Amino acid sequence: MDKNFPEEFTEIIKFTPPLYKQRYQFIKDLVGKYKPKKVADLGCADCTLLWMLKFCSCIEVLAGLDICASVMKEKMHKLSPLPVDYLQPSERSLTITLHHGSVAHKDPCMLGFDLVTCIELIEHLEESELQMFPEVVFGFMAPSIVVITTPNSEFNRLLPGVTLFRHPDHKFEWNRMQFQNWALETAGLYDYSVEFTGVGHPPTGMENVGFCTQIAVFVRKYPRISEFSQSEKPTEAVYKTVFKAVYPSLKDEKYLQNAVVSEVIFTAQIIKQNLLDCLMAEHEEYDDDPTERKSKFQPSKNCFSEDLGKLVVGKSMEPFVNGNAVYIPLRTIFSFPKVNRLCGTFEKLCKLIAGKVTLSSDGSAVMFNTERE
Amino acid sequence: MTGRARARARGRPPGQETVLPSVGAASVQQALVSQAPRQQQLPGLPVPPSVSEEPGGRGRRRGPENIPQHPGRRRPEGLHISTGFQELSLADRGGRRRDFHDLGVNTRKTIEHVQDSKTGSSGSTIKLTANYFRLTSRPQWALYQYHVDYNPEMEARRLRSALLFQHESLIGKTHAFDGSILLLPKRLENKVNEVFSRTRNGEDVKITITLTNELPPSSPTCLQFYNIIFRRLLKMLNLQQIGRNYYNPNDPIVIPNHRLMVWPGFTSSILQYEESIMLCVDVSHKVLRSETVLDSIYSLYYQVEEQRFKEACANELIGLVVLTKYNNRTYRIDDIDWNASPRSTFRKSDGSEISYVDYYKKQYNQEITDLNQPVLISQFRKKSGNIMAGPVVLIPELCFLTGLTEKMRNDFNMMKDLSVHTRLPPEKRQCQIGRLTDYIRKDDNVQKELRDWGLSFDSNLLSFTGRVVQGEKIFQSGKVSDYNPHFADWSKETRGAPLISSKPLDNWLLIYTRRNYDCASALLQNLFKVTPSMGIRMNKATMIEVDDKTEAYLRALQQSVTPETKIVFCLLSSSRKDKYDSIKKYLCTDCPIPSQCVLARTLSKPQTAMAVATKIALQMNCKMGGELWTVEIPLKQVMIVGIDCYHDTASGKQSIAGFVASLNQTMTRWFSRCVVQGRGQEVVDGLKACLQTALRDWFRWNMYLPSRIIVYRDGVGDGQLSTLVNYEVPQFLDCLKSVGKDYSPRLTVIVVKKRVNTRFFTHSGTALQNPPPGTVVDVEVTRPEWYDFFIVSQAVRSGCVSPTHYNVIYDTSKLKPDHIQRLTYKLCHMYYNWSGVIRVPAPCQYAHKLAFLVGQSIHREPSLLLSDRLYYL
Repeated sequence: MDKNFPEEFTEIIKFTPPLYKQRYQFIKDLVGKYKPKKVADLGCADCTLLWMLKFCSCIEVLAGLDICASVMKEKMHKLSPLPVDYLQPSERSLTITLHHGSVAHKDPCMLGFDLVTCIELIEHLEESELQMFPEVVFGFMAPSIVVITTPNSEFNRLLPGVTLFRHPDHKFEWNRMQFQNWALETAGLYDYSVEFTGVGHPPTGMENVGFCTQIAVFVRKYPRISEFSQSEKPTEAVYKTVFKAVYPSLKDEKYLQNAVVSEVIFTAQIIKQNLLDCLMAEHEEYDDDPTERKSKFQPSKNCFSEDLGKLVVGKSMEPFVNGNAVYIPLRTIFSFPKVNRLCGTFEKLCKLIAGKVTLSSDGSAVMFNTERE
Repeated sequence: MTGRARARARGRPPGQETVLPSVGAASVQQALVSQAPRQQQLPGLPVPPSVSEEPGGRGRRRGPENIPQHPGRRRPEGLHISTGFQELSLADRGGRRRDFHDLGVNTRKTIEHVQDSKTGSSGSTIKLTANYFRLTSRPQWALYQYHVDYNPEMEARRLRSALLFQHESLIGKTHAFDGSILLLPKRLENKVNEVFSRTRNGEDVKITITLTNELPPSSPTCLQFYNIIFRRLLKMLNLQQIGRNYYNPNDPIVIPNHRLMVWPGFTSSILQYEESIMLCVDVSHKVLRSETVLDSIYSLYYQVEEQRFKEACANELIGLVVLTKYNNRTYRIDDIDWNASPRSTFRKSDGSEISYVDYYKKQYNQEITDLNQPVLISQFRKKSGNIMAGPVVLIPELCFLTGLTEKMRNDFNMMKDLSVHTRLPPEKRQCQIGRLTDYIRKDDNVQKELRDWGLSFDSNLLSFTGRVVQGEKIFQSGKVSDYNPHFADWSKETRGAPLISSKPLDNWLLIYTRRNYDCASALLQNLFKVTPSMGIRMNKATMIEVDDKTEAYLRALQQSVTPETKIVFCLLSSSRKDKYDSIKKYLCTDCPIPSQCVLARTLSKPQTAMAVATKIALQMNCKMGGELWTVEIPLKQVMIVGIDCYHDTASGKQSIAGFVASLNQTMTRWFSRCVVQGRGQEVVDGLKACLQTALRDWFRWNMYLPSRIIVYRDGVGDGQLSTLVNYEVPQFLDCLKSVGKDYSPRLTVIVVKKRVNTRFFTHSGTALQNPPPGTVVDVEVTRPEWYDFFIVSQAVRSGCVSPTHYNVIYDTSKLKPDHIQRLTYKLCHMYYNWSGVIRVPAPCQYAHKLAFLVGQSIHREPSLLLSDRLYYL
C-alpha cells in the first residue's frame, strides 16, 4: 500500500511540505493533543509513521499492521532501539510490534488501543474487505479515537495525468459526499462521533473541490470497554508477528539497577576526587596556574563541586579518608539530584546497589581503596 | 610530550599497544592519499544530519535514489536486498564507495616469479587454526542473474516487485530483487521468460525475465551477495550495527568508574581466499560512553583555564566519533563552531528556515536545554548521488561519545579496567567467535534463509599448517646471543655487553628545575654506573638549573648550546605538552641537535632507577648515531625503506609521512626524513624527493648505489591499495629512472598492515595459545590475487597476538618468497627502542615515530642535518 506515491509527482500542484508528510504531521499533532498511550497504524507500509511516532514520549505501545510483510520488513529495523536507548534507558517503556495480517480479520493483539490510524488505507480494500472493516476497527478494536484518511476524488481533476485513480492499486476513490456518508453511517452504527477535515489545500479559486486528502476523526462516545467484556470477544490469533522491539526502560529493574550503580559509582568518584584534590592542595607549595576566568561560554548546569558545597551539610554526610580507604556516605550520594531521581527512596538505593558496589562494613558508605593510584 | 609518545619512548613493545581490539575511534580509517578529493566536499551550506528527512536519518547514504545511476539503466550493481547492500561495492563496478577489501586489485599477476607459488619453505611446521569458516554450497551451486523488464514500463519499485511476485510459482519463494535484477538460487527452464501480470486497475503488463548471467560461487557479485545475506542474518539475530560491525546491546559490560559501556560484537567479512570462500569473524568491542559531548565540554571547562578552553575542547574532541541520540549514525567531529549555537538556523530541503532547537524538537522530540553550546561540524565522508555532500552540524548535547580519547588511552587504570574485558586470551576469543556460529546454528529463521539459498558455513575454525622460522642471533660488539623464542626479547641476554658503535657522551647539557636537582644528580650517577659496560665513554654534563617555564628552558638552550654540544638532556617536571613541543621544535629545526626529554616522575622510583638509566643511555646513544645490535642480513647492496603516515586530526590540517631508509649493510644506520603534507596535497611528490636524497646519502656512505630497493609501506587504509599501485609505485619507478641512465635497481614494494581481523591460534595440549613469534602463514587465509603473507613477529603478554599482513604489490627483485619473508622477519628485530621483536619491520616503526613527533610537536620538516641519526626515538 503505497501511501507516499501519488500527489507529489504532479507538476502543477506541489504541496509543501509534501502531502504525505502533512498527513503524518496531522497524526503527530493529534497525538500531541490527546496523548494516547497505545497507538496502532493499520496499513503501516514501510513504517514511516510508526518511526515518527516512536519519538512521542506519551506513547508506550506502538503496533503496525499490513497485508504485505515484505514492505514492512524492508525498513522495520528502523524501529529497533538505538544505541542511545541502551546507554540512557528512558523513563517510559516502549514496545513496538509489527503484525502481518488483514484489517478484515480480528485479532486480540489489536485490543485496548487508544488511537488507531488508517492513513490512505481504505481505498486499497476490496469491496468484501471494506465491508468487514468497520466491524473490525470500530466494533472489535473499539479504540477511543480512529483516524481515517482517503483521497478526495473531486480534487483529481487538478492532478494532471490522473485518469481513473491516483494509484493503480486503488479500488475506488470517493468524493466528499461519499466518504462522509460512509463515515457518518459507520459512526452511527458503532456509537462514535465523527468530524471531517483534510490536508492539501486547493489552489486559490478552486476552493470548491475541497482538500486533496480528506480526513475523518472518529471519537468513541462510550467509555472504555471493561476487561471482562473484552475477554468475551474472539481471541484466536490470526496475525503473524513479524517484528517486536522492547525498548530498555528504567521501569525494568535490570536497567534501573545498571543506571543506579553507574550513577552512584560515578558520583562517588567525583566526591572522592574533590576530597583528594583538597587534601593535595593543602600540601602543595604553590599553585601552577592561578588564572582568572571569564567566559562567554557559561555552562548552565551546576558543576559537582558547587553542588557538593550546597549539599554536604550534616557532619555525618561528609566523606572522609581513613588509612588507604576513602569513604563516601551513601546519604551524601543519595542527595545528588540524579541519584535521588533514579531511586526515589534511600531504601531503594541500598537495595539496588547491594552486592554491586563496595561498601564500608556497616553498609553506610561507598568505599574506595586509594592504593591503586 | 603526550603520554602515548612517552609510552613508546619508554620502551613499551610497539607490538603491544594496539592489541586492544578495535575500540571506537581507533577504528576510524584515515586516508592519506584520499585527502585530495575530500577537500572538494567542503563547500555547501551546513545542514543537520537528517534534512533529507528520510526516516532513520541514514537515508542520505542509503536511500536507493541516491545511488549514482548510469543513465538508462538502473544501478547495474544494485541489488536492493537490504540496507547493508549499499555499503559494499566493487571497485571494478565504478562505484564511488570505498572498496574496503581492495577487491579490484590484482597485483600477483604482474609479478612473474610468484605465478606458480608464493609460499616460503624455511622453518618448522606448526598446526594452526584461524578465525575463518568455510562457506559451503551444494555441488554445482550457482547464482542465476536475471534481468527483468516491464512493458509498459512500471516506475515504482514496489509495484514492480508485486507484479513480478505474482509469478512465485515460476520463480520460487527464494529470490532477491532490486527492481530490475533478480537473483535466484535455481535456473528457470527457459532463458527468456515472458509472463503477464495485471495491475489491480486492470492494466496488463508484460514481464520479461531474461537470464543474463550464471554466477559461479566466486564471482564478485556472489561475494557481494554473500556479504549481504550475512548482514541480513546478523540483523535477524538482533545485533545492532555501528559502523561496519555488529554489536549485541543486550548484555553490555558496564564500567561505571569511567562511565563506559562496552558492547561485545563481531566484525565479519566473506571473501575469496586462497583455496575457498570463507567467512572471517573476529570479536570486536564497541566502547560507548554514557556521556554527551556537552558533558565533556562542561568538565573541560572546569579543568582548564579560560584561554586554553577552546583549544582543549578541540584537542579532546576533534577526531572523535559520536553517536547521535536520535538516529543510528556515527559522525566524526571535524571541527567545533563556537560562533554558532542551537539557535542558529539552517535551510531545510523544502526551502524553509528553521533553528536547530526547533528542528530537533519537532522532528525527534529532543529538547536542547543549553542554548549557548557551540555546534560540532562533521564533513561527510562519502559523496553520494545528487545530494551535494556538505558539512553536517551536530548539537553537542545530542551526541554521545564513543571510543576512547588519547587522554583515556593514557589513563593506566582505565585501560586496565577495560582490557580485562576487551583483551581476550585465545581460548576466550575462540569461545566468543563460537558464540556467533552458535547463534547462527540455533536461529531457525537464519537457518531457513541459508538453506533456501543452498548455503552453509563450516562449524569448525579453519585449520591448516603454518611455519615457524628460527629466531635470529643478536650481534653486539664481540658478543653473539640467542634469545628465548617464546618471549622474543633479549634485554637480559644483551645486558652488559658493549654496543656495536657507541658515541661518547662528552659535550652535553642537562637542564633541570630546582626541585628536580636531586633527581638530576641521581640520574647522572646512575649513568656513570651503567655506561662503561656498554662501551660508552661519558663525561659529566653541563648542569643548568632553570625555572619551570617554557621560556626558561628555551633561554637556557639558546645560551648554552654550542656547535660542539652533542646532545641536550631536559628533565621535565610535568607532562605539559607545550613545553615538550617547544623544546623539540627548537632542537629539531632552529638549532638541530639531538635531545632527550624525560619526566622527573619516571626517574623517581629507586627500584627501577638503574633500568631506566640503562634505557636512557641506550636511547641517547642511538640519537647521537650509535648502533646497538644487528642481525645477520645475507642480502647485499640492498636499501630498505620504511614509510608510515601520521594524520594530525586535531588541527585537521596536515598529514605527515615519515620516510626512513637504511644506509649500511648491517641495517644499523638510517636516513630519516619526512614529508609534511597540507590538506589536498599528494604525498607522493614528497616521497620522491625523500627517495632521491636517501639515494644520494647512500652513495656518500657506500660509494655505490644500491642494486635493490625494498620499500615497506605502512599507513595504507582499507580500500587504498589501488591508489598505491596506480600512483605511488609508478612515481617510485620514475624517481629511480631520474637518478641515472644506467641505473635500474630492482624494486620491491610491500604494503604492511597491522590492523587485520585475522587471528591465529595454536594448540598446546587441549588449550589454545598464541602462535610463537616467527610464525609465517602464506596459505589458506591469503588471497589468490595477491603475493601476500602473514607474520606473527611479536610476543604478547596478554590477549591475542595479532599477525601483521604483508602484501608485495610490486616486485622485480626475483627474490624467492622465502627470502622476502625471512628478511621481513629479520627487520622486525632492528628497532632500537625495544630490545625484542616488534610487529613491523624496524624502518616502519622508525617512520612512525618520526611522523608522530613531527605531527604532534614540530609541525614542519626537521633539519636535514639530523637525518642520519635516530633523533626522534
